Amino acid sequence: MTTQADPLPLRRTSAPLGRLLGAELRWVLRRPRTLVMLGLFALIPVLIAVGVVVADRRSGGGLIGAVAGNGLVLPIAAMSLALTLLLPLAVAMAAADAIAGEAAHGTMRGLLLAPVGRLRLVGMKAFGVLVVAALATTVIALVGVLAGLVVVGGADGRLVTLSGTTLGLGEAVGRVALVVVWTVGQLAAVGAIALAISALTEHPLVVLASVLGGLIVFGVLSAIPALEWLQPYLLTSGWAAGADALRDPLPLDGMAESSLRALCYVAVGGGLTLIRMLRRDA
Amino acid sequence: MTPTPTAAGVTRAAAGAPADGTAAPVAARVRGLRKVFGRTVAVDRIDLDVPTGAVLGMLGPNGSGKTTLIRMLLGLTRPTAGTAELLGSPVPDGAGAVLPSVGALVEGPGFHPFLSGRENLRRAGATEPLLTSRDLPAAVDAALERVGLAGAADRRYRGYSLGMKQRLGLAAVLLVPRRLVVLDEPTNGLDPAGTRDVRRIIAELHAGGATVLVSSHLLAEVEATCTHVAVLQSGSLVASGELRTLLEADAGGLVISTPDVERALPVLRAAGATAFRDGDAVVVADDGPPAPEVIALLVRAGVAVHEARRRRARLEELFARLTEEAR
Repeated sequence: MTTQADPLPLRRTSAPLGRLLGAELRWVLRRPRTLVMLGLFALIPVLIAVGVVVADRRSGGGLIGAVAGNGLVLPIAAMSLALTLLLPLAVAMAAADAIAGEAAHGTMRGLLLAPVGRLRLVGMKAFGVLVVAALATTVIALVGVLAGLVVVGGADGRLVTLSGTTLGLGEAVGRVALVVVWTVGQLAAVGAIALAISALTEHPLVVLASVLGGLIVFGVLSAIPALEWLQPYLLTSGWAAGADALRDPLPLDGMAESSLRALCYVAVGGGLTLIRMLRRDA
Repeated sequence: MTPTPTAAGVTRAAAGAPADGTAAPVAARVRGLRKVFGRTVAVDRIDLDVPTGAVLGMLGPNGSGKTTLIRMLLGLTRPTAGTAELLGSPVPDGAGAVLPSVGALVEGPGFHPFLSGRENLRRAGATEPLLTSRDLPAAVDAALERVGLAGAADRRYRGYSLGMKQRLGLAAVLLVPRRLVVLDEPTNGLDPAGTRDVRRIIAELHAGGATVLVSSHLLAEVEATCTHVAVLQSGSLVASGELRTLLEADAGGLVISTPDVERALPVLRAAGATAFRDGDAVVVADDGPPAPEVIALLVRAGVAVHEARRRRARLEELFARLTEEAR
């Protein structure tokens, strides 16, 4: 117990931001489900690699088919695959725990009474969700590069692009990093919307169900030709752009457009979360 | 213990007090506070002051609005009408300035099941503005020690018993020296030893100059620890004030235990005393003959007297009467 009457900390009305973010990070990383989830994400590229090697003969086309004998395609293919469902679910889970989960455990009261200002609380929670998104994506990319080089191998540590040209290891890793950043951007959009839902409920499952339902509805909507005018507004419609990183020269317009769209989602989701959290009872 | 709050607390509260003529500094004040959930009126126009340095026990049956009142006072719920003030700052808009020196255990302890008690406290401590990062581990250890959880600190919260959870909630309140401590049903789930510990902690906080607001439905608890009481019934405040004053107003008279109430009553009444039956005893009001004379009268008349004592009102009786009247 602090006994000295230090006048400076007595006037503090808020804990240092760095310490709050540190505490949130610790909390996120100590949660068993986060660790299990990261472990499962590490398995994705390994499984694809093993699958490609076992299938061996040039079976099938598409992104996965391009992995055969061209290991550095693997991280990008794995990220594109995971982005369709698994990564958004992971982010939704983190967002569900972030606000709805805290409310369900009764820990939200403690945070608000400490007090962690409501604005800071949203910042702290957004940070935690973003960390999960970044970690999950990075794990896939890292294990993907390793598995690609070790298990799949081929192309002498080079990347043969879909356009037929060859890139050196350095540039190939640069392409992978670009896809990581772009993917985290897309996940931030999912996370912002998930946080907004999380701020509205005390039941973490509602967040998961909403994100899952949303993804399915977006998928259905984008498959209806009569609703083509809706495409520019659907977050998921730009999610194929990650594979652009495998082309040479690198076409950036697809990733730029989808990133801009993600930014709009982040703005809307973040705004809604903030508005709701400023008034929420705990 | 907490040496600082007295001096600093009083001057600050005085400086922050509104200039509406009220001289005594109050740690918490609510005016016309009202909360309506749908059609249910949970709290109905309550005015209440918690004097600085007091231990105020908030009593009331389940559903009488105690927790809702506390939640509004702490800014966790917005009132439908009325104002609340905490250590001189309006709630909820100005609460951020004073909440660091307010510790609260509301609606049971809230912690994460997958973390140990110590980890949970560390996380709570990290959000406390008044705790420097350097002092954090020591403060956590001291708080655990103080609530008797040091031995179980590294076990997961998931495996804690109800009483241990409650103790951890108390420990979170004790992380920082507080000027105001709000405890909502702190003895829930505690065994007798735990209840004694809570009583001891409240006494320590009181001795350190902190104001304590404790809600309970355990009347003996409140009677043992509180200086002030506020009694709630169906969302309304039916009585509030200093415990001693309230009890004295309700006291008086002499209680005489005797197996022979039937014979005692006419003897006493003949001597000019106001006497009435109360179970196996006779109660004699103070307006008649003095106590020695009353007893001598009975003995002389051959009535066996087992025990004679001054009637002291018990909080339980007072409470029962107050809540009956209000019903």
